[in-house]
Amino acid sequence: MIDRQPIDTYATRISEEKQTSVITGATASTEKRQSVLFGDFPNTHDLRRLAGQIKDHTLHHLDHYLEQAEAALSRNGVKVHFADTDEDARQAVLSILRDHQVTQLTKSKSMASEEIHLNPFLIDQGIEVLESDLGEFIIQLDGDEPSHIVRPIIHKNRREIARTFQRAGIARDLNDDPEVITRRARAFLREKYMQAQAVITGGNFISCESGRVVLVTNEGNSRFGMAPSKLHIALIGIEKLVPSDRDLGVFLNLLGRSATGQQLTVYTEFISGPKDPTQPSGPEEMHVVLMNNGRTDVLASDGREILRCIRCSACQNVCPVYRQASGHAYRSPYGGPIGAVLSPLLFGDRFPELADLPKASSLCGACNEVCPVDIPIPDLLLRLRDKAKRAHISQPGDLPMAPFATLATSPSLWRTAMTMSKAMNHLPIDVAPFRPIQDWLGQRTLPESHGGDFRKWLKNRSKEQGLRDTPQ
Amino acid sequence: MSRESIFSKIRTALEPLAEKTSHPGFDDESITSSSRLQGSLREAFQRNLEAVHGRILNTPDTLASFLRENDCLHGYCDPDLMDPLGHALSAVGLIVETEYDRQRYEDYRFGITQATGAIAESGTIILDDTLTRDRLAALSPWVHIAVFPESSLHRSLSDALTHLGPSHNVIWVTGPSKTADVEGILIEGVHGPGEQIAYLTP
Amino acid sequence: MSVPLQRPVANKVLFMATCLCDAFYDDAARASVEVLEHLGIEVIFPENQTCCGQPAFNSGDWKASRKVARHAAEVFGGDLPVIVPSGSCAAMHSHGNRLQFEACPEPAIESLANRTWEILDYLVHGLGISTWKGAFAAPTRIAFHRSCHTRGTRTGEAAHALLSSIRNAEVVAFGQEDQCCGFGGTFSVTFPHISGRMGSLKLDHILAQQPDLLVSADMSCLMHLTGLARTQGRPVQHQHAIQVLRDTLA
Repeated sequence: MIDRQPIDTYATRISEEKQTSVITGATASTEKRQSVLFGDFPNTHDLRRLAGQIKDHTLHHLDHYLEQAEAALSRNGVKVHFADTDEDARQAVLSILRDHQVTQLTKSKSMASEEIHLNPFLIDQGIEVLESDLGEFIIQLDGDEPSHIVRPIIHKNRREIARTFQRAGIARDLNDDPEVITRRARAFLREKYMQAQAVITGGNFISCESGRVVLVTNEGNSRFGMAPSKLHIALIGIEKLVPSDRDLGVFLNLLGRSATGQQLTVYTEFISGPKDPTQPSGPEEMHVVLMNNGRTDVLASDGREILRCIRCSACQNVCPVYRQASGHAYRSPYGGPIGAVLSPLLFGDRFPELADLPKASSLCGACNEVCPVDIPIPDLLLRLRDKAKRAHISQPGDLPMAPFATLATSPSLWRTAMTMSKAMNHLPIDVAPFRPIQDWLGQRTLPESHGGDFRKWLKNRSKEQGLRDTPQ
Repeated sequence: MSRESIFSKIRTALEPLAEKTSHPGFDDESITSSSRLQGSLREAFQRNLEAVHGRILNTPDTLASFLRENDCLHGYCDPDLMDPLGHALSAVGLIVETEYDRQRYEDYRFGITQATGAIAESGTIILDDTLTRDRLAALSPWVHIAVFPESSLHRSLSDALTHLGPSHNVIWVTGPSKTADVEGILIEGVHGPGEQIAYLTP
Repeated sequence: MSVPLQRPVANKVLFMATCLCDAFYDDAARASVEVLEHLGIEVIFPENQTCCGQPAFNSGDWKASRKVARHAAEVFGGDLPVIVPSGSCAAMHSHGNRLQFEACPEPAIESLANRTWEILDYLVHGLGISTWKGAFAAPTRIAFHRSCHTRGTRTGEAAHALLSSIRNAEVVAFGQEDQCCGFGGTFSVTFPHISGRMGSLKLDHILAQQPDLLVSADMSCLMHLTGLARTQGRPVQHQHAIQVLRDTLA
């Protein structure tokens, strides 16, 4: 039966309150980005293309660069681990933690860890894990899921957060002033940082030349988490490599601007190993877990450009569908356009159940226009739609197109259909037994059919001209 | 095992790729915002630092009154910076410790540390593990004062990237710690300092 | 969106009316012919034309859409420019077809991609017309909706330039201009809720400026927007940009 698509159904069910939070937050982020990015460089689009090419270059030589990164990291005294699957990654992290008898750790925001559901796994193993990014911390307290890459609680308002804090015993009252909320989290998390034996972070980039792991945060939570901890584990996807330190300039310039409209994120940390010997604060041991978890499948596909992504969230913010549906509609840590492409490719064994995601787009192209690494997202969405069709995967909202193709390749049939379409003007088609037509016409008034009128006009006109041209 | 498996999958994935993108190369100026660099380096630094709500203070007196106004009467100062800065603050009645004891992290309302330099283009302060004696002293206090000579100002992000130096840990700090997680409203001083001060020495 | 840089310009062109003009908006097609002829261009209308194939292409049924694309490439064969009063259909020829034929390019498809012009783009960048010597009888506020398929092309600026140069016309800015109206072809059918919400938001922004006329280079967006507007009891006068050019001719 023809019906609406799952994401549209999801969108009809979210509360007005949540909807308002998402639309307001995403719109504000888009506007901030616009003003900063375009005021600073003579040609921002050239910069986006440059970044895309550097990423493509790295991905097209990934075997070479991954070896180089491994060597540089090891040279710096970092212990390097490879994890092919999500399970490998969870086990790698767990065994490092076990080796150090860690019972308590803090974690700074990492999409890679969301991807492999690291928190619930470690908690099941009896380890206390605390998210330290304010948004992720609130998500954890609520047992919720992040709905945005950069602002995980974009879907929540201050009143809900105040209720969460009271429920969790962090606040006695329901004061919902964002400043009060932030100060309370500051005080609570500081104690936890000081007690933690380890810190888990993600990584935004690895420079293959120097083996520097680059980590950016605005709150300073990864920096604070690392300072008292003896052990640092960075879980990083294998696509996060850039060739050299100098290349980092291109991406750092684009990341903060695209993500939050900042020229630079507040804390940009370049970590090439355990702390320096004279330094009292900071990890004595550093481990980097390089995770595949489906990335090589994406690399082998015709959607490999999505691996350029630097997780800035600009495509989420600008996407009108994301704004209406929220990140949760996309059923993975990655919502919005990035998720609509990445999830079906990355979690390939779940392709049939995720194949509707690429359809959740009017193909307006705003995502490509804002992407700091110029990912042709609409093209990738289209390729995935084609892939789903070829694999005979269908959703409730799919429309059959074979009859259309027959009509559109039979000119005389087409002309007849056009003329006949005028009959619609006199038929009660809004009671047609097709749900989509009812929905469509329920919201819109169809223009009057003028089927074939243009052709008729042309014909009459040439007849008249023919008469005029006839010699008297 | 994972290692070999990953490398083999990468090679298989890349094999059919007919055209491989070469590194495009670029000019540092193409990624530098010239509009942010109007005027002298010092002027540009100050303007960009202030744009992210950081500030420049240049004399012990102005620093002392700023700390008093913000009710930051007790803090840490790198022993190498006691003369003259730390002593000047003690002389006007502020409590200045030269040891950072992390058990009492809440006692330190300000932290004065050395910085490696700064970046004019972005108003960024650069710290590293060798020069900043204790990472926590630059992080836990409400006010962080980074002291560095004006001569260590880098022009652009690109310049600073080519001079990251040998330290295992370098951090660029661009303004006070902040969040906009709650309804997109900007709040400063989340986990790190709520006030970021650059104290330039000649 | 990639658009070929070198496309042919000639005094004789093939005109593709688009299925929407064929079915509903005959006057937009008529205006296209009249404006081109006014500029001294001979317009040929291949009778066997149907549709660009976009509904099937966007639905992911590329087997079906390639069939339609081949039909279009045959109907519009030769070396003359192909002029379309729709940014969306033009993008299908120049960009969408390239994508669905990337594994097995066909010369006729490639040729069509390199010869297709959206009509306003042709006037401004093909024929070099930078101002329109037309006039409204009275001051007219125009809200120009820049359709998404003209992103990365020069149609938006072309239309904006021509419309602004009409005497008594004022092209007014409105909020969030680069947001999609929510039509998206089959998207509006299978995502009725989101599509409707997007359209209503777009209308809010446009109507806040109290324009006299809503104008676009794509009738599809206008069909959706004005369809919503009428059902919501806030109808708005609307025209394709090419109709505005014709109607304001002195």
